[in-house]
Amino acid sequence: MTDLLQLVFAGLAQGAVYVLVALGFVAIFSVREIVNLVQGEYAALAGLAAVSAVAAGLPLLVAAVIVVPLVMGFAVLLERLTIAPIKHMTPLTSIILTLGVSTAVKAVMLLLWGPEAKSLPNFPGSDFFLGGVSIRSQELWILGISAVVGYAVIWFYEHTVRGKSLRACAEQPVAARLVGISPRTATVVAFAIAGLVGAVAGVVGSPIYLSSWTSGLTLGLKGFVAATLGGLTSLRVAMLGGLGLGILENLVAGYLSSGYRDAVAFVVLVLVLLFKPHGLAGKPTAVRV
Amino acid sequence: MQRRMRMISLGLALGLATTSLAACAENKGGSTTPGATGGGGGSAAAGDIKIGVVLDITGAGASLGVPERQTIEMLAEQVNAAGGINGRKVKLFVEDNQSKEDVAATATNKLINTEKVDILLGASRTGPSLAMRPIAEKAEIPMISLAANAKIVDGSKWVFKTAQNDRVVLEKMVDDMKAKNIKKVAVARDASGFGEGIPEMLAEVGKAAGIEVVKVEKFAPDATDFTSQITNLRSANPEAVLIWGIPPAAGLGQKAAKQLGVTVPIYQSHGIGNQAFLDTASESANGVLAPLGRMLVADQLKADDPQKPVVTKFIADFKAKYNANPSTFAGHAYDGFMIAVESLKKAGTDKVKLRDAIEQTSKWPGVSGVFTMTPTDHSGLTKDALVMVTVDNKAWKLAG
Repeated sequence: MTDLLQLVFAGLAQGAVYVLVALGFVAIFSVREIVNLVQGEYAALAGLAAVSAVAAGLPLLVAAVIVVPLVMGFAVLLERLTIAPIKHMTPLTSIILTLGVSTAVKAVMLLLWGPEAKSLPNFPGSDFFLGGVSIRSQELWILGISAVVGYAVIWFYEHTVRGKSLRACAEQPVAARLVGISPRTATVVAFAIAGLVGAVAGVVGSPIYLSSWTSGLTLGLKGFVAATLGGLTSLRVAMLGGLGLGILENLVAGYLSSGYRDAVAFVVLVLVLLFKPHGLAGKPTAVRV
Repeated sequence: MQRRMRMISLGLALGLATTSLAACAENKGGSTTPGATGGGGGSAAAGDIKIGVVLDITGAGASLGVPERQTIEMLAEQVNAAGGINGRKVKLFVEDNQSKEDVAATATNKLINTEKVDILLGASRTGPSLAMRPIAEKAEIPMISLAANAKIVDGSKWVFKTAQNDRVVLEKMVDDMKAKNIKKVAVARDASGFGEGIPEMLAEVGKAAGIEVVKVEKFAPDATDFTSQITNLRSANPEAVLIWGIPPAAGLGQKAAKQLGVTVPIYQSHGIGNQAFLDTASESANGVLAPLGRMLVADQLKADDPQKPVVTKFIADFKAKYNANPSTFAGHAYDGFMIAVESLKKAGTDKVKLRDAIEQTSKWPGVSGVFTMTPTDHSGLTKDALVMVTVDNKAWKLAG
């Protein structure tokens, strides 16, 4: 029983990182129908940049606070340079385009930081045991920060005029324009949010899961799988999906074999695409036509 | 509308497939210095000695391959500055195998068929080395691997290696367990070639001492979270835990073990002898036990130790050039390269004579130990090449 709880708890923390990445996918797709495969790279980039900042002598929290806006700016800049010039964007075009961009970003990270995985020091706090379950303080940071950031994103999209106007862009682009919502601004804001959640994922996850030039790929794919559970449009289902995926991975690793850990996400993806291509929430929404 | 969604799904699936493929392709961006580096300058004169080097420079083995490349480049410069080998310059051909078996095989073929190298060095890890072995044997070219698993050289005519055999490491470890009266050991091992067969071998080597393996878990060489493996080891109530891997994974495993409340002694393999282990494991490394070469504790060696001058000079040279301490892996590269150089001095580049010269290496003091190769032992080191080392406050210390 202790083992089960231990695996579930470790899975929750891992899942919370997937949640943040998944939110990035949804934040963009629900505004522009762009599948942004650079999403994972934001996390890798933020992690590596924070490691360098700490190595340069900055306190950990200061480094984190500096890096996150930098990566947001980077996400927006990439959007301006690579997404904005495309006149006729389809999901397929966006996948191919962002795949290329993510490859380029990876190459740059390899040149700048070298091939070795690096980790940030743990955030303040000490590890403890609760009923035989080891709780790492970093895991609590991950869960706490993911919850705050996640709910902030949901609140923004669902309860603010700004956020609602973003979704209006996706649902009724022409009507949105008529009432004065600029699709250009909407896209920039969506990418800034995606950069924010990605960067936060990279910084909070780095002490446990490490950052390297390749870590964005796996993280991005896991986040993408969690996002597909919500049909790439539901923030809430994506959050649950991310947590569920993290737990499932750890249970499979613990009870079957750790070799299957990374296969879990892909099996889930195939099943979702086969049986529930619109996400677990079920019905295809009419506005998506 | 249905069709539209289906197309999107199809697009996504396609995108994912491309991404996974791209993951293989894009690593190419990481191959540093393709082709010739260091060595004899611009023109590849017919008289140059060509040394082909295949290392894990990117990917899971990067913390091994990078210092190994640095070492070999430094030594090649030294050899050439001193006039080369019998007047012939050394020319290096360094290839990055991306820590992958298939890439190692391709690189080996290229070095043999296109560059026509005289001798092969590499790879850094067991898996890629095993992929290189049959190619070197078929081409009848001497090869010196820098990796550990005895399978790399078992029964081979052409292949040698410089890292201590894992059997030798386990023998040393079992001696230590015997002294501490440890009988039940739980093992978490690297799922790739480096960890292959380790629990079985530990059971075999430890049988006489009454040591049994009570639980075995595996981890991917690039794994970052060890909760599931360590949880399962813990449930087996062992008297000691053995984590058999390379950093950063080995360091993360160490950290997880401490965090998950493992209080019994933790043993690690000889794969942890670098700064990356100390960095990733940080305080959790305190008290770890590992059979390692003498280089890490060079300052604590006795003055009459035959390895002391070699090790001291190597550390000083490496520090002067790269401003960092060399790892044990850098040491394996030193041994591999210098055994090649010594043998080339004696035998020249005739493949058969060169192979014989390597096999006749006797009582040669290297960084990892004093090497004596024989027709049946292409590894050259016994358990005397190892000392039990522990970590205290981010520094290596001779244990007990």
